[in-house]
Amino acid sequence: MTISHRRSLANQSNALQSTGPRSLAGKRASSQNSRKHGLNSAPDFESSSEYRALVDLIAEEGFSAFACADIASSLLNYRRVMDAYYDTYTSPEPVDEFLRDMNVKASNPIFSELLSPSGSEPQDVREMAAFFATMQRQERRKGGPVSRRSADTHKLIRYQRNAIARLSRAVRHG
Amino acid sequence: MSLEDKSKSLLPFLSSPKLLPDESEAEFQSSLQSLLSELDNPSALAVALVSQLNECLWWIRRHTVDKELLLHEAMARLLTKAGSNWMGSGNSELSVALEHYLNGSAQKDQAALIEEALIDANLTLSDLRAKAFKDAARHIKLVDDLIHRQHQTTRHLQRSIDSIDYKSRLIKRMDLELAALESKQSAKGVLSLDDKPS
Repeated sequence: MTISHRRSLANQSNALQSTGPRSLAGKRASSQNSRKHGLNSAPDFESSSEYRALVDLIAEEGFSAFACADIASSLLNYRRVMDAYYDTYTSPEPVDEFLRDMNVKASNPIFSELLSPSGSEPQDVREMAAFFATMQRQERRKGGPVSRRSADTHKLIRYQRNAIARLSRAVRHG
Repeated sequence: MSLEDKSKSLLPFLSSPKLLPDESEAEFQSSLQSLLSELDNPSALAVALVSQLNECLWWIRRHTVDKELLLHEAMARLLTKAGSNWMGSGNSELSVALEHYLNGSAQKDQAALIEEALIDANLTLSDLRAKAFKDAARHIKLVDDLIHRQHQTTRHLQRSIDSIDYKSRLIKRMDLELAALESKQSAKGVLSLDDKPS
């Protein structure tokens, strides 16, 4: 199906109206749209009370001021990663049990009934069944809740690796 | 400051232990205390690192349980696929029944459901387990990676704790040597004063 030139122009002019959020609050909200764990954002530990208290505690052990700051921020960064690790582990993508367990072949009469008001053709029913079969395959490939949480947590491995290497370096060279 | 006070004073920075609903906090704390008891008068930083080490060991336990759960999930999936009761009992119902069956805590109807499903699939329990292992290999590999990562993290933490321990021992030794030198020096001073003819 091709759209007319007029329609295409109308679409383009409408798209120009959509320029994203304008207010500060809107921009702030939309900046979090694709945020998953927040580990890619730069943390600001220095202004937190935890950081200052931790620096004071470490300073009592004879580390230099620079080493204290490095160790405190590395430790807080490691905690941030492990908190995200826990959150990811405990809230995996939910399993769509209906889609996973449905019998697509046996559902053909239901599909034709659903499509009947529009005067369904056998081809439409087949297409709908194929669509559900594809969705079901994708759902099953993701596995159950344990597979999902393992896969989600696995994505955080590199953050943990970097955080612990930084902490270990800070402590040993401090 | 006692060991317990030190670990308590650090809690706000380390976040209180985040446990799953079926885990015991008492068990978590007792494993932390047993790790801390292996250190000789640990500093606050050492306590902080040992807390992280304890959490790592906890994660290894969780992921090891997950490996078994993944196998159970795959076993239930295979049984559902092979069974005639596709729509009647979904994967999750079968999963729960299988879990109880393998733990030996299945009710009569759950045991019957699993045995029927095994007959339908024409499999024994060990065959099913072997097939499930093959089926879930991709996911099991992910969990193995997670466990390996925790082991690596544990090693890093262990090295850091050792370096703090070594540093504190070194400082203590230097203090002792300094005190010994000072006392020697003062003894010499007294002797030389004594030697001087009055």
